Amino acid sequence: MSGLFRRHFLILPAAALLFLFVMLPYVNVLVMSLRAPSDSTPYGEGFSAGGYVKLFSDPYYFEALGQTLWLGVLTAFVCFLLGLPIALHISQASRRWRGLLYGIVLSPLLVGIVVRSYGWTILLGNTGVINATLRNLGLIERPLPLMYNSFGIVVALAHVFLPFMVLPVLGALQGLDPAVGSAARSLGASRFTVFRRITLPLAMPGIQSGAILVFVLAVSSYVTPALVGGMRVKTMTVMVVDALIDQFQWPFGSALALSLAVSAGVIVLVFARLTRMKWK
Amino acid sequence: MTEVSILSLVKRYGTALAVNDVTLKVNHGEFVSLLGPSGCGKSTTLKCIAGFETVSDGRILFDGHDISNREPEDRDIGMVFQSYALFPHMTVAGNLAFGLEMRRVARDEINRRVADVMELVQLSQYAGRYPRELSGGQQQRVALARALVIEPAILLLDEPLANLDAKLRDEMRTFIRDLQKRVGITTLYVTHDQGEAMTMSDRVVVMFDGRIAQAAAPEDVYDRPASEAVARFVGNANILTGTVEAGADGAPGLRFGSEGTLLRLPAALPAGTAPGRGLRVMARPEQVRLTAPGAGDATGTVVSHYFNGGFIDYRVRVGADEIMVHAPTADRFADGAAVGLAFDAGRLWPLEGAA
Ligand SMILES: Nc1ncnc2c1ncn2[C@@H]1O[C@H](COP(=O)(O)OP(=O)(O)OP(=O)(O)O)[C@@H](O)[C@H]1O
Ligand SMILES: [Mg+2]
Repeated sequence: MSGLFRRHFLILPAAALLFLFVMLPYVNVLVMSLRAPSDSTPYGEGFSAGGYVKLFSDPYYFEALGQTLWLGVLTAFVCFLLGLPIALHISQASRRWRGLLYGIVLSPLLVGIVVRSYGWTILLGNTGVINATLRNLGLIERPLPLMYNSFGIVVALAHVFLPFMVLPVLGALQGLDPAVGSAARSLGASRFTVFRRITLPLAMPGIQSGAILVFVLAVSSYVTPALVGGMRVKTMTVMVVDALIDQFQWPFGSALALSLAVSAGVIVLVFARLTRMKWK
Repeated sequence: MTEVSILSLVKRYGTALAVNDVTLKVNHGEFVSLLGPSGCGKSTTLKCIAGFETVSDGRILFDGHDISNREPEDRDIGMVFQSYALFPHMTVAGNLAFGLEMRRVARDEINRRVADVMELVQLSQYAGRYPRELSGGQQQRVALARALVIEPAILLLDEPLANLDAKLRDEMRTFIRDLQKRVGITTLYVTHDQGEAMTMSDRVVVMFDGRIAQAAAPEDVYDRPASEAVARFVGNANILTGTVEAGADGAPGLRFGSEGTLLRLPAALPAGTAPGRGLRVMARPEQVRLTAPGAGDATGTVVSHYFNGGFIDYRVRVGADEIMVHAPTADRFADGAAVGLAFDAGRLWPLEGAA
């Protein structure tokens, strides 16, 4: 017993924190999601599964759940497409450039998320910079639908979360022996084959964790979908806030929040399973 | 079987010269070692041959064809890296098959050749393992097998044994040399271990500061080094400095040390050596014998001695010089004892250049 304690005591503070501020609140949310609804107070007497029934029987909510998860997948994929070349480039850059490029990649994180999302509304709005410019150039007559739709949300989310893809991929690439690529060349592989057969598979651990990070962050983000999606596209997080704060329905809001967390968790598990690497 | 000619190769990094005008021909099936201290340009030379670095000047020919501008994948080389550079995400069999897949060899033949080469390097039972599940020596053999299985025209090895322990290194030396002889492949082997270069090579190329200092058979490099730097880098060397004098019988001798001992010199002396001129002569520690005081060519005092298994390494002070003697354990002298030193006149090697 004392041996067990000695081996694990270093994680005790973190475990206590997690228990107090993550596990207990989750249990609280679970209990709350099963409370009976009420019109006058946040929740009523007794228990009921009404919140879950409403979520899964009303297509409005159910589709929003699907839509939110889909936006998360899309954002992760866009970050992968954009982030991989960036990470490859930085990993091959000289020491002098590397610092600068790191800075550029991290820069979106230095600006507050509200400011950044407003920035995108200025760019993407119907009278925003992009539409105004195109109209002034005579290229379009009606504004392009850049905002208040999934497109705008994914663009803005990918911008914010790109560093969370680039950094783990970069970590994986920088851990590689550069001679591995040379060895493949000497065995007859072209540059592109080296990328396909060597670099990409070896970057996979980074891609995997980056994708999971971006997906989880995107699915649980609130400010960006709220500002860029407006009233038209409502993600689960926006609905949770609606239910909790505007409609004062704590049991239903909790049911929405918990369903999102569980389904996102399932997707992460399935993804991790599918991309499992035997050689690690 | 391919002949490699390196003609006036120069490689610059910025303004720094990593390889400075190297010319070298490696014959069909020859095993040549590039030997030199760290940073002398051995790896850079190899990388230029492999095509991982572009040459700044000069040309590299394989069988008379200039390949200086060919991509590495079109050079038909097998390369073994110091870090092994195995593909961590592929099994042993996957690593070995890679080069054959690139050559679009049919699947059955790939399987057959991979099985053969695994047999050759005694790794058959590890076919399904990933590199991280192998010991250093096993990884080293996979790296070697991966380079050999494609039957390349030229085999390039960059310090492949540097990460192994002494015992395994000895085994692998013999293993690589035997394999190279059996397969008959033209081989360039980079090392900074002079013992390794000696035991394995047909020819040793000693490099300093990006230049070739000497390219010759191992015995020649050891017994007849081209310069004092080569003499000192390859094995241990006593350098005796003195003046040339005619001995009593008229044969040339070297007057050296504060006692003014006259040493007999071999008959063949470098051009320009005349009585009265300064000269440096090399004597290897094992070419010096300890005798009773007064019996040898010179007398001295034992400064220190270290037992090293089969031999004892003495340091003997003669005047201002300290002479290293590598003596059989049968001769025992205590520190501080007066001893005589007998030089092997036939094997003293006069070095080029004035003293
Ligand atoms: N990419 C590079 N950029 C700048 N200088 C380099 C580069 N690669 C090598 N050099 C320099 O070129 C010289 C020769 O390097 P090289 O790697 O060929 O040495 P080496 O003989 O293989 O040494 P070692 O035994 O330590 O491996 C060194 O001074 C090194 O600092
Ligand atoms: Mg090197």
